[in-house]
Amino acid sequence: MIGEFLVEMRNISKSFFGIKVNNKINFTLRKGEIQALLGENGAGKTTLMNMLTGVYFPDEGDTFFKGKKMVLNFPGDALSMGIGMVHQRFSLVGNLTVFENLILGHPKNKFIINVAVEKILIQKYMKQFDFHINLDAIVDELPIGIRQKVEILKMLVREVDVLIVDEPTTVLTKQEADNLMQILRNIANSGKGIIFITHKMSEVFQVANSITVLRKGEKIATVNKEETTPNELARMMVGKEHNTTFNLPKTKKIPEILKIENLFVNSNNGVLAVKNLSFNVAGGEILSIAGVTGNGQIELADALTGNRKVGSGNIKFKNRDITQHSPKKRIDEGISYIPGDRINVGVAGNRSVWENLIMKVYRLPKFKKGLLLNNVKLKKYAEKIIQKYDIMMPGINLPALLLSGGNLQKLIIGREIERDCDLYICVYPTRGLDVGATEFVRNSILNLRNKGKAIILISGDFDEIFGLSDRIAVMCEGKFTGLFNNGDYSLEQIGLMMSGQEIENLEN
Amino acid sequence: MFRIKLEQKERVSKQQELIINLYAIAFALILSGIFIALNGANPFVAFWKILTSVFGSRYGFSETLVKSIPLIFTGLSVAIALNSKIWNIGAEGQLFFGAIFATAFVIYGPVLPRPLMLTIMVLLGMIGGAVWAAIPALLKIKFKMNEVISTLLLNYVAINIADYFLFGAWKGKDNFPYTPEFPLEAKFPRLNFGRVHFGFIIAILLVILLYIIIYHTRMGYKLRLTGSSLKAAKYAGIEIKKMMFLVFLISGALAGLAGVGQICGIEYKLHQHISNGYGYTGIIVAWLARSNPFVIVFFAFFLSILLKGVDSLQIVMHLPAAVGVIIQSLILFAILGGELFKNYNVQILRRK
Repeated sequence: MIGEFLVEMRNISKSFFGIKVNNKINFTLRKGEIQALLGENGAGKTTLMNMLTGVYFPDEGDTFFKGKKMVLNFPGDALSMGIGMVHQRFSLVGNLTVFENLILGHPKNKFIINVAVEKILIQKYMKQFDFHINLDAIVDELPIGIRQKVEILKMLVREVDVLIVDEPTTVLTKQEADNLMQILRNIANSGKGIIFITHKMSEVFQVANSITVLRKGEKIATVNKEETTPNELARMMVGKEHNTTFNLPKTKKIPEILKIENLFVNSNNGVLAVKNLSFNVAGGEILSIAGVTGNGQIELADALTGNRKVGSGNIKFKNRDITQHSPKKRIDEGISYIPGDRINVGVAGNRSVWENLIMKVYRLPKFKKGLLLNNVKLKKYAEKIIQKYDIMMPGINLPALLLSGGNLQKLIIGREIERDCDLYICVYPTRGLDVGATEFVRNSILNLRNKGKAIILISGDFDEIFGLSDRIAVMCEGKFTGLFNNGDYSLEQIGLMMSGQEIENLEN
Repeated sequence: MFRIKLEQKERVSKQQELIINLYAIAFALILSGIFIALNGANPFVAFWKILTSVFGSRYGFSETLVKSIPLIFTGLSVAIALNSKIWNIGAEGQLFFGAIFATAFVIYGPVLPRPLMLTIMVLLGMIGGAVWAAIPALLKIKFKMNEVISTLLLNYVAINIADYFLFGAWKGKDNFPYTPEFPLEAKFPRLNFGRVHFGFIIAILLVILLYIIIYHTRMGYKLRLTGSSLKAAKYAGIEIKKMMFLVFLISGALAGLAGVGQICGIEYKLHQHISNGYGYTGIIVAWLARSNPFVIVFFAFFLSILLKGVDSLQIVMHLPAAVGVIIQSLILFAILGGELFKNYNVQILRRK
């Protein structure tokens, strides 16, 4: 049942550094409605929502909540009025219990908290919306999917009328994501409004009633789900038709760029994360590693790049044993790493764009001027990459954290390609990117392959895996449950391997 | 009724940061003025006296410069650590340890020609400071011990070690806890301007050298990257533990130099009061002028104006000595409070 208006944002505009990030946007949300907010990175989705929750103030325009004009002074004001947002980065206190997190900062708790009454109240909400969480569990010990639910429950306990969720499924498995969709549906059915920020078309069609598309700070349209198609939405998002099929031209394989023998690697807490892996990767080949997040893929990538100690086994790169080589040495030997955590690992956010672009080349002799660094030459080098890869940024001397997600990835990929390595290890290279940036990244990886580079692609996106791979390995609990040529097995069969079935035991 | 409106800022430029710090100082000075008034003195007269005591005479100005020398060293010491996200609260102890090392050479070593003797003492002072900083460095790197606590507590240890020598082996003939006066070979030449000594030239050269190192060398680049993000630095192939250790050593060596400057340039002996809290005041200097060595000179001089001026307030206006400490603390508080303005746009509006 979709009812009356909850939120009406009228002619909202906002600029940063003279760049309009929101231009005269109108946005409405009704009771019982799930509205997807769709757009590329940097389209202005998060800015718009930050203005609804009082983090930023609009330069122009008014917001009405339940028919009344909203005046926000502190970020907390929106929450106390009934607008809550679950951010991509969670705001839970890790070493407190779920219950403690739920009541922490709740305005109605003054000095004395009646634990028994509060717990009964919370149980009531959990029952109503079909949550199953142990209230006494320590948050840090919970899987990420449950933590997400705690965040949502926290909002429900505060009796919000509007719930904003910012790309909630990026960190979830398929099952967790499906479950989350169901919960969002339950919440909407209880008469609340939900704004669902996302990139994923399938989720839009799974759960949303209506869709608002933003592009470059402008609102393109608001459409009902029944009246549109994924293709139409994609066109609205990027303004042009997108080519998602890749064809893999034949390349001359250069055998054995990388050869792994009986590799064992431990995870942070000392558990065996990679168990007895042996495989090799040839030049001009993309080997994809598919699997549910947390099955040893990151530990494998870290071991290959030297950022994690190998328990036992050998890593041979171009016929040389590099098992004990430092990360620095491996960088110089021609191993490139495109990390999954762009913001914290891929760049030093506070440093300038140019300083981030020279991260791996600054110690080359050609950038030396006596004892000093040749900063002029280094800046020129950085400028060349910016132009070549069309990186949009406010200024070469400004911090890299001002770049949008897509441009940040362009910066990282441009930096790595220009170094001309023999092996590229790409970890979730398109995660969280918009359609345009995704296509850029995939084309770049494909070009590297066609130039004879060896590529390991760790990914969870099957469009990507099927579209780019020569061979596919499926990783489960630190082992390969399958390693085969792309096309030999169906998605369904790969799904079984991801859940632990060995390839030999599959019935064809 | 009024209400305060806070809006998160995307980022602040270095210029804005400096301006906010200057506002904070002005605010702290107003509060200090109120405090001086409460003590029965006219604050305007007091501030005027501070200014004239510094700029009114050749003597006053030179004495202010003398106080700024150790502050430049300790300010650089704390700032270089701070830029790598390391809190070195131990400049005071490293200053003493540098002085102990340099003094040891005077006591136990031969008397060498002046340039050689002084070079050795400067190097020993740097080594002494670095050794004392190496302890918290190793504790942090090996055992993840918080350096704020370890560096702070080691200050007291260092001062007590100095006492151990001063009350023991190094005690002078008249039985007071200070060493005999150094020979001429162990004294910095004066610059023909009051008591301003050769340490000032070392300080200025170091400022230039550090600027070049930080912004124009590979090591400086590594320092900048490590200071911004440990994960990114590691990803770029930088051995961050080595870098951290190095930063501690440099930081300690700089503080050690402050100690050498005090004993070779001013006091000509080691005693318990060579420092006047320069290691702690250096924290304020560093916080005010975080990322630029040249700005450190400016703020070191500014804080020595206060130190010098308050000395004369005691004498001329009979104000308590604590006034100086209170003004310093107010400045630090105001600057830390100013962080709010660096992260948020603040507006005060009338409630409708």
